[in-house]
Amino acid sequence: MDFLANLSLGFSIAFTPFNLVMAAAGVTLGTLIGALPGVGPVSGVALLLPLTFGMDPVSGIIMLASLYAGSMYGGTITSVLINTPGESASVVTCIDGYQMALKGRAGPALGVAAIGSFVAGTVGVVLLMLMSPILARWALSFGPPETFALMLLGLTTVTGLTGESPLKGYMSMVFGLMLAMVGFDIISGDARYAFGINELLDGVEFLPVAIGLFGLGEVLVGAEQVTDMRILRARYGLRDVMLTANDWARSRFAIARGTVLGFLIGVLPGAGPTIASFLAYTLEKKVSKHPEEFGRGAIEGVAAPESANNAASSAAFVPMLTLGIPGSATTAVMLGGLMMWGLRPGPLLFEKNPDFVWGLIASLYIANVMLLILNIGFIPMFVRALRIPYAVLMPLIIIFCVTGAYSLNNKLWDVGVMLVFGAIGYVMKKLDYSPAALTLALVLGPLAERALRQSLIISDAGIMILFMRPISAVLTLLALAAVAVPAARALRQALRGRAPAAAA
Amino acid sequence: MRRADQIAGAGLLLLGVAFAAWGLRSYTYWGPTGPGSGFFPFWLGLIMAALAAWLLLGAIRSGAPDGRWLPQGRGLHRLVTVLGVTAALIAVLKVVGMALGTVLFLVVILRFVEGLRWTSTLAIALGTAAVNYLIFTYWLRVPFPVGVLGI
Repeated sequence: MDFLANLSLGFSIAFTPFNLVMAAAGVTLGTLIGALPGVGPVSGVALLLPLTFGMDPVSGIIMLASLYAGSMYGGTITSVLINTPGESASVVTCIDGYQMALKGRAGPALGVAAIGSFVAGTVGVVLLMLMSPILARWALSFGPPETFALMLLGLTTVTGLTGESPLKGYMSMVFGLMLAMVGFDIISGDARYAFGINELLDGVEFLPVAIGLFGLGEVLVGAEQVTDMRILRARYGLRDVMLTANDWARSRFAIARGTVLGFLIGVLPGAGPTIASFLAYTLEKKVSKHPEEFGRGAIEGVAAPESANNAASSAAFVPMLTLGIPGSATTAVMLGGLMMWGLRPGPLLFEKNPDFVWGLIASLYIANVMLLILNIGFIPMFVRALRIPYAVLMPLIIIFCVTGAYSLNNKLWDVGVMLVFGAIGYVMKKLDYSPAALTLALVLGPLAERALRQSLIISDAGIMILFMRPISAVLTLLALAAVAVPAARALRQALRGRAPAAAA
Repeated sequence: MRRADQIAGAGLLLLGVAFAAWGLRSYTYWGPTGPGSGFFPFWLGLIMAALAAWLLLGAIRSGAPDGRWLPQGRGLHRLVTVLGVTAALIAVLKVVGMALGTVLFLVVILRFVEGLRWTSTLAIALGTAAVNYLIFTYWLRVPFPVGVLGI
C-alpha cells in the first residue's frame, strides 16, 4: 500500500535531527506564544516566517505547524490561571477553567486540557492523513470554474464567520482583493495601480502586510490597555495535573465529542479553532446531565473546547494542503509562506511534493507527543514566562516585526509597509473589521482573478458557467448562501429596528 | 463607533468608485479573447462602493449613541508614543544601522516610556541587539543597514 510508504517517507523526513530541532523549537515557542496574551498563533506564524526563508520548505512548515499546534495547548495556561485568554481559541476555556482554579483545581484543569489536546490533535492528524489524499485526488479534476467557486466559498465563509459585523468582514475581504490587484497583471502585463512607484510593480507583498496586521497591530492594541495581570497562586506540578477517576469519567466523552466536532468545523474553509471551541462548549453544555455546573468549574467545560481547538487546528490543514484554501487565519498566513517558498498549493502538492506533505503530517504526530510532555511536566516554566511584563514584551515584538519585514527583500520599503499596516490593523481591530479576511483575500486574490478570467474565456454563457458544472454550481451556491444568510439577518434587523421608530 | 463608521463608509465609498473608474479607464475591461486586466478591478471597486454605502447609510440612520473607540488618557499617550518611536526607528535605520537602532529604540521605550531601571533597560537592549545580530546577520545573513557604527 503506497499509503504506508508515504507515511514512512514522512517519518524519515521528520526524524532528521534538524527537523526534530525545528519541531521542538516550534512547540516550545508555540506554547509560549499561546500562553502570552497579545500574541496568538497568527502573529507567531507571521513573525517566524522570515526565519524560515533560508531553510528547506519542509523544515519551515514543520516549525510553523508545530508552533500552531503548540499555541492551542499554551492558550489554556493563561485562561486557567489569569482568566485572560492567551489566544482566541481559549476564550471559552476561561469560563470553567478559571472557576476550577479558584477552587484549587488548576492542576486537573491544565491536565485535562493537555490530555484532551493530545487525543484530539493526534486523532485530527490521523483524519487529516486519511482524508487529504482522497480529497486531493478528487480536486485534481477541477477546472478554472471549480477553482474559482472554491475560492469564492473560502473567502465568503472566512468572512461571514469571523468578527462581529459580517458587513465589515466583507469590506475587509474586498479591500484585500483590491490590494491584490496592485502590480503586474500576469495575463496582460499591465502594471495596475502602481502609479509609477517602482516598489508597487511587484504588488503589495503579503508578508509585511501580515506582520503589520498581526504583529504590530496586535501590539498596538495591547499598548493602549494599561492593565496588570494577576497570576493565580496554584499548584500545577507533575503530581497536581493528574486526573482523578471521577475527572476522567466525566471528561472522556467530552474529549471525544470535542474532537469530532472540532475536526468537522476545522475542515470547513473559513471556520477555524476559535469557532470550534465555542461550539464544542455549547454542545457539551447541552448534552450534559448537570448543565448547572457549567460556569462553576465543570471539567467538561475545559475538556471539550480544548480538544475541539486542537482537532480543528489539525483539520485546518486539510483544505490548505489539498485545495489551497486555508481553513483559518493562521493557515492563511502559512499558505502565503508556501507560495514564498516556491510551492504551489493545491491538489498537485501531494503529487509533486510528497516529501513536504508527508513530512508535515509525520511531524504533527511528533509535535503532539512533545506537547503532551511539555504541557504535563513543564507548566511552571511557562508560568514563569507569563511574569514578563507586557512593557518589556511589547518593544521586543516590535523589533522582531521590523527585522522580519526587512529580511524579506532587504528593503526598507517593506518595513514601511509593515508600519502602515500595523496602524491599519490597529484601527481594523478597534472598529470590528477583519484582518484575517484581508490577509486571506490578499493571498487568494491573484489566483481567484486568474481562475475567474480563465472561466469566462472558456465559457459561452458568461458568468453562468459557474452554475452549469455540478461541482462549481454547488460550491457557488454555498458561497452565495454564506453571503445571503448574514445579509438577510442584517436586513431584518434593520427593518425591525425602524418599526418602533415609525410607530412612535 | 457611529462617527468612525460614517468616516470609513464615506472614505471607502470614494475609494471604491475611484478604483472602479481608474480600472475601467486605464485597463482593458474586455479584450478579444475574454475579460482583460480591468475586469476584476472594476467589479471589486463597485462591490466595495456598494458595501461602503450600506455601512454609511446604516451609520447615518442609526440612533445609537456614539461610543468612544479610541483610548483615552494614558492608553492613548502610550499608543501614540509607541507608534511614533517605531516610525522614528524606521526613518533613521539607514543612518544608525540595525544594531544601534535596536538599542536606541529599546532604551527610549523601556527607560523613558515604561520607566524601567537603567540596569534592566541596558541589559535587555544590549541582549536583544546581540541575539538579533546572531540570528539575522550571522546565521541568516540578512544584510541589515550598518550605519555609523559599521555593524
